[in-house]
Amino acid sequence: MRVTDELPRGLTTVSGERVDVEQRLGAGGQGEVYRVRVGGQTRALKLYHAHMATASQRRDIERLVLKGPPTPHFLWPLQLVVAPSGPRFGYVMALREPRFHSSEDFMARRVVPGFRALITAGYELASAFLKLHASGLCYRDISFGNVFFDPRTGDVRICDNDNVDITGSGQGGVLGTPRFMAPEVVRGEAVPSSETDRYSLAVLLFYLLEGGHPLEGAREAGIRCLDLPAMNKLYGTEPLYIHDPADDSNRPVPGIHDNPLAFHPLYPEALRRLFLQSFSEGLRSPHRRVMESVWCRELPRARDALVYCAQCARQCFHDGESPGGALRCWSCGAPVRLPPRLRVGQRLILLNHDTRLYRDHLHEDQDFEEVVAEVSQKPGDPGRWGLRNLTTDKWTFTRPDGSIADVPPGASVPLKTGNVVHFGMARGEIRE
Amino acid sequence: MTELPGGPIATRPLHFIFIADCSGSMAGGKIQSLNQAVREALPHMQDVAKGNPNARVLVRVVRFASGAQWHVSQPTPVEEFSWTDLSADGSTDMGLALKLVTEALKTPPMSERALPPVLVLLSDGSPTDDFNSGLKDLMAQGWGKKAVRIAIAIGEDANLDVLQRFMGHPELRPLVAQTARDLVKFIRWASTAVLQSASAPASQARLNPNVNVPLPAPPAPSPTPPDANDVW
Repeated sequence: MRVTDELPRGLTTVSGERVDVEQRLGAGGQGEVYRVRVGGQTRALKLYHAHMATASQRRDIERLVLKGPPTPHFLWPLQLVVAPSGPRFGYVMALREPRFHSSEDFMARRVVPGFRALITAGYELASAFLKLHASGLCYRDISFGNVFFDPRTGDVRICDNDNVDITGSGQGGVLGTPRFMAPEVVRGEAVPSSETDRYSLAVLLFYLLEGGHPLEGAREAGIRCLDLPAMNKLYGTEPLYIHDPADDSNRPVPGIHDNPLAFHPLYPEALRRLFLQSFSEGLRSPHRRVMESVWCRELPRARDALVYCAQCARQCFHDGESPGGALRCWSCGAPVRLPPRLRVGQRLILLNHDTRLYRDHLHEDQDFEEVVAEVSQKPGDPGRWGLRNLTTDKWTFTRPDGSIADVPPGASVPLKTGNVVHFGMARGEIRE
Repeated sequence: MTELPGGPIATRPLHFIFIADCSGSMAGGKIQSLNQAVREALPHMQDVAKGNPNARVLVRVVRFASGAQWHVSQPTPVEEFSWTDLSADGSTDMGLALKLVTEALKTPPMSERALPPVLVLLSDGSPTDDFNSGLKDLMAQGWGKKAVRIAIAIGEDANLDVLQRFMGHPELRPLVAQTARDLVKFIRWASTAVLQSASAPASQARLNPNVNVPLPAPPAPSPTPPDANDVW
């Protein structure tokens, strides 16, 4: 008897297209998700439980369908789907490709990305929520369950977009997921908004980058039964950042919170400062939270600071801000030799064997799609490395002796100390 | 080769205990339905557990009839847990079952840190022993008091008053399964939605300050039994 597993039948889109349900993919508090075929395409369908299928939810979905996704990272409601009889309805969205894994898979270390992919995922999340907020919407429920990423590339997909609402309008609907809700929401003083989203985003980024919760230290360890009253205290009424420089009473406890202890010192200072702002001032003053655009500036800079350990090939961060003391590999302890660096304005880019420069590096325009240059070996002389021009424009470079040479498309600038590259408007200086 | 330092995020154990009535009145259809219903719920329970990186779900089973025993005594990780059929015979020593659970919820053997335990009581009758003393013991234990206690009545002869007192919840009532398909539905709810709430509560629409674990709405029983043979 598998009564509860019967697939729904007879569904159509509001425009009358047939929706063939192929397989149940999952279920949650609000409804079930199925793989479906509609209009010759494979899609995902979220079908609400009867008691969740309210008129206002339906209006929200219709509005989101009309508005369209802020970026392709959102698995956005594409069309409303209705049942032949009864009040149930749902919506179709793009199907998540198998390369995307849940954040839970990463938290449990069932998939293990490198730092580059992690930072990229963080950047993509910040950038996606920046665009969502810019269109006057707020997400309301940023948490593990709604975020998927490709552990190889860091590419992200954000689902459960039916909670998205116009900022400031939210009286009904979800308040968020415990551990991710802003303290003022936990205390019942505020409803979700883009400001509370920014808190949840910082928690999610912290989970991704430090493998733990920013408020779970000695206070969490001291709680026996972590139930709702305990959570309200920990995340609402008495929150304290585990790395707070002014109060060390909630430090991570070795043996329990090992991840934040291991990860925190590895990141560039600039990134640690953003977490500090998020969970000190930002904990108390919603308008002092780190803006998405700031994450979008600093996360790529941290990615530019990655270098490979020659001994064990792990990724380490070179912190341009604290140059004192040689960098040692967090994994094997070997001293890490830095590759040549390129300084463009305030940015320092480590030129590893696989480094690519994007349009953003030259134009600060958040374009990480267009590759403008790559590190490459000189053909016939693999010991010599250069920065190859992948644009259609001609660059020039100035040698330390003042002589100038052309870098036509496809040609390379040698990675030699003192060479200054003129990429059109931008100017970059190479140091070995 | 691991590309990152550290390991999985810190977890807390979540103890999930089925407390199953195996008295004589359960013999036949009811106990078979119970066996089948738990078996059906298990993969879904495993999915929910997999989606909760903060929890380590450990399952045990108590059976009670004339006396009470552990059917599965070791807290077993849910991904390794498999269901062995229960059989039914004897009286209804529910109070003894609660005493057995109480012993298991003392610290030790309970760990210092955990999530609220989930206790799911399945019964079709009235206790034949001192239920009050069993419940009193359970509620005198910190973990017993903090536990999410769900009762599922199998058929209409179950003592709802006793089950209600076991739950002690301001809003929830015992779930009354009149049919095998309702039993499947309710056991699945208890082992997925309730488990989810106790380990990592899902998105909240509102917070009730009177409960220690916010519980999602239970499924409604089937309005009309589809098959007269399916009714107890």
